[in-house]
Amino acid sequence: MSTRTLSLLEAVREALAEEMARDPRVVLLGEDIGLLGGVFRATDGLLDRFGPERVIDTPMAETAIAGIAMGLAMRGLRPVAEIQFADFMHSAMDHIVGEAAKLRYRTGGDWTAPMVVRTAYGGGFRGGPYHSQSIEAFYSHVPGLKVLAPSFPDDAKGMLTAAIRDLDPVLFLEHKRTYRAITGPVPEGEHVVDDGRLRVARAGDALTIVGWGMMLHEALAAAEELAAEGVEAEVLDLRWLLPLDREGLLDSLRRTGRLLVVHEDTLTMGLGAELCALAAEAGVLRAPPVRVAMPDIGGIPVADRMEDAAIPDRRQVVAAARRLLEKSPSPTGRVGVGEAYDPTIPEAASVVEVRMGEAHLEAVLAAVAEACRAVPQCNATFTWDEIRLHDQVSVDLDLGPLSPARGGGTFTLVDYGPAGSLLGLPAVRPGQTATLRVGAVREGRAYLALSVDHRAVDGADAGRFLATLKGRLEA
Amino acid sequence: MTLDLDRAYQVISTARQMDERMWRLARSGRAHFAVPCSGHEAIGAGYGLALRAGHDFVAPHYRDLAAMLAIGLTPREVFLHFFARRDDPCAHGRQPYAHWGSRAHGVVSLQGPQPNHVTHGVGVAWGSRLLGTDQVTWIAFGDGGAQKGEVHEAMNIAAIHKLPVVFCVENNFYTQSVPSRLESSRPDIGARAAAYGIPGESVDGMEVEAVHEAALRAIARARAGEGATFLEARCYRFLPNTSNDDDTRYRPREEVEEARLRDPLALLRQKLDAARADAIDEEAMTLAAEAAEWAEAQPEGDPEEMFEHTYALSS
Repeated sequence: MSTRTLSLLEAVREALAEEMARDPRVVLLGEDIGLLGGVFRATDGLLDRFGPERVIDTPMAETAIAGIAMGLAMRGLRPVAEIQFADFMHSAMDHIVGEAAKLRYRTGGDWTAPMVVRTAYGGGFRGGPYHSQSIEAFYSHVPGLKVLAPSFPDDAKGMLTAAIRDLDPVLFLEHKRTYRAITGPVPEGEHVVDDGRLRVARAGDALTIVGWGMMLHEALAAAEELAAEGVEAEVLDLRWLLPLDREGLLDSLRRTGRLLVVHEDTLTMGLGAELCALAAEAGVLRAPPVRVAMPDIGGIPVADRMEDAAIPDRRQVVAAARRLLEKSPSPTGRVGVGEAYDPTIPEAASVVEVRMGEAHLEAVLAAVAEACRAVPQCNATFTWDEIRLHDQVSVDLDLGPLSPARGGGTFTLVDYGPAGSLLGLPAVRPGQTATLRVGAVREGRAYLALSVDHRAVDGADAGRFLATLKGRLEA
Repeated sequence: MTLDLDRAYQVISTARQMDERMWRLARSGRAHFAVPCSGHEAIGAGYGLALRAGHDFVAPHYRDLAAMLAIGLTPREVFLHFFARRDDPCAHGRQPYAHWGSRAHGVVSLQGPQPNHVTHGVGVAWGSRLLGTDQVTWIAFGDGGAQKGEVHEAMNIAAIHKLPVVFCVENNFYTQSVPSRLESSRPDIGARAAAYGIPGESVDGMEVEAVHEAALRAIARARAGEGATFLEARCYRFLPNTSNDDDTRYRPREEVEEARLRDPLALLRQKLDAARADAIDEEAMTLAAEAAEWAEAQPEGDPEEMFEHTYALSS
């Protein structure tokens, strides 16, 4: 496919024009998008080409823009709403977070809202507190919504095209400084980037730097400086902020073991916190992670020196990378998938009461092996690509703090013996889909609690597993 | 199109019987939540019977049980929603009672915060324009909702583009407990139509024929491409706001008793043959009882179903 060099802004405009030409259901609405062509000119020329029925200049009414876009989407149209500045989106938030993102869920799929809300975010323009904000953290906390933030022109075209065709509501974040400052090759004609995966913008093995929007370019510049010192940083362009590409992040961290997140949004409760938590929970870090972010200040100041000091840049990224590389391995960190608890696993637990004696471990082990063969989903590994069923059953035994599970097995059995509690719900170990905990035996009976990774094992499977176990033990 | 008074009475009587049954079920702990419609039924029946069922769209007020029955939801379907059963056609067990919605019946999904559905309804109406259909969208909301800023945004835009929409405020003079004198500097909300340059009309919302006639006029205008209308239908809510409300804290009993003298059910009954009305009431009572009993016995969804429908690919 042939490409030309376009700015990110031109790539956005091209995606809008091509999708409008391809699909008559696509309509644009927003403030100043028609006659003016948008305050950044993202919609320049589209009114002339597609007419006022499909390129709608609205009054200054952000709430109605979002609400009306949802109504249009409910009729099968494909609205693309523009909120002129991300800072103005707060009054539309109810219709994005409370309405469009929940519509499919609250109607059991009867009504849906396939709509896009585009907005310009980010500082560096002397815009002050109300024309500079980054808003991704607010919206990346909203299941049902997708949040996309391209950093390169080819992605701006391909991801916006994918967003318009998406069956779910999408918030599409365009960093103002990338509009004209970032140029690059963009395929001519249809170009769709809909894989939901992060993009390895630069390969390396010393550390992983994650960014998006303008900060991704600061990270790339920092990586060049580090390379001059002989340090090869891997730079990940997160681009899909929600849903997150967890596997893509962990793949990189399993090789580098060191994480540096850079975002222009403020530090506390920013996306960096979630990325660091994911990495920590997966046990893939060799050193504590580092975040470079806007400090927690009340707004972005307009005065030159204050704004420049507030927005992170490549020098801060380089300094943070050096600190990260100097850090010794963290005392609690582990490399590779260990027995660390992973709270992102959606767990469900079921319990049965079984007749059994004080000495039961051999019998329980045999019964677990039989139940794992009968219900192989419980003897499996979940990834976002597949549920891998294991041919062999290998039980990790967790017999208490003095004799914890060694790891490496396909199923975990927890039994603290007579000292244990009557009933405890165990955690599912990363890499496994089920854990069984045997409660203390009282008067010849004990509770067996099975926790499962609900993405791999449904309630009926868990029930069959426990029924097999109980049948075998009471036979 | 004149109103079939027997049919209107049947809708109102059925809504009333269901309403009273829901109130008892919620208060006795057999259901989560009741949202009374008593006092609002003539509005729901009046506009519901004026729309083309299954063709036009409704973004309803939560007190519009009568409208839902008029356009074709069955008492059994309504009670499935009331009990949040697995086959609840409005919200699939995810939203409490009176959060109407049904694609098949053209009912725009209703949400919790009022009246967010007003802008959605304008978008739905705009869809008719862009798709070249003659489908009208009826948007109903309360006098409380009418005070929200986004209602202004929605009405302004609908007026600019002459969208095929009817805005109907069901004015019962309270936002839960807050009386109209603290809601708005003028109680005649319908007068706001003039600000948008669209026709406005205030009707007696206790008289089903008056509502129906006004609805027919507004719907005809919208269908003919002449744009939006703003109707104010004045009524009174006979029961508390919801089963969790205590209206004795904010409404004198004398006021409620006086309002009940103009009960829409009784007003319509006077125009019907008494024996015929008795027969309809009898039938409505049986229908409501049977539907409630049937729906209560239907299964709930499995807990696993909570993972469905967050995204298209999780559906």
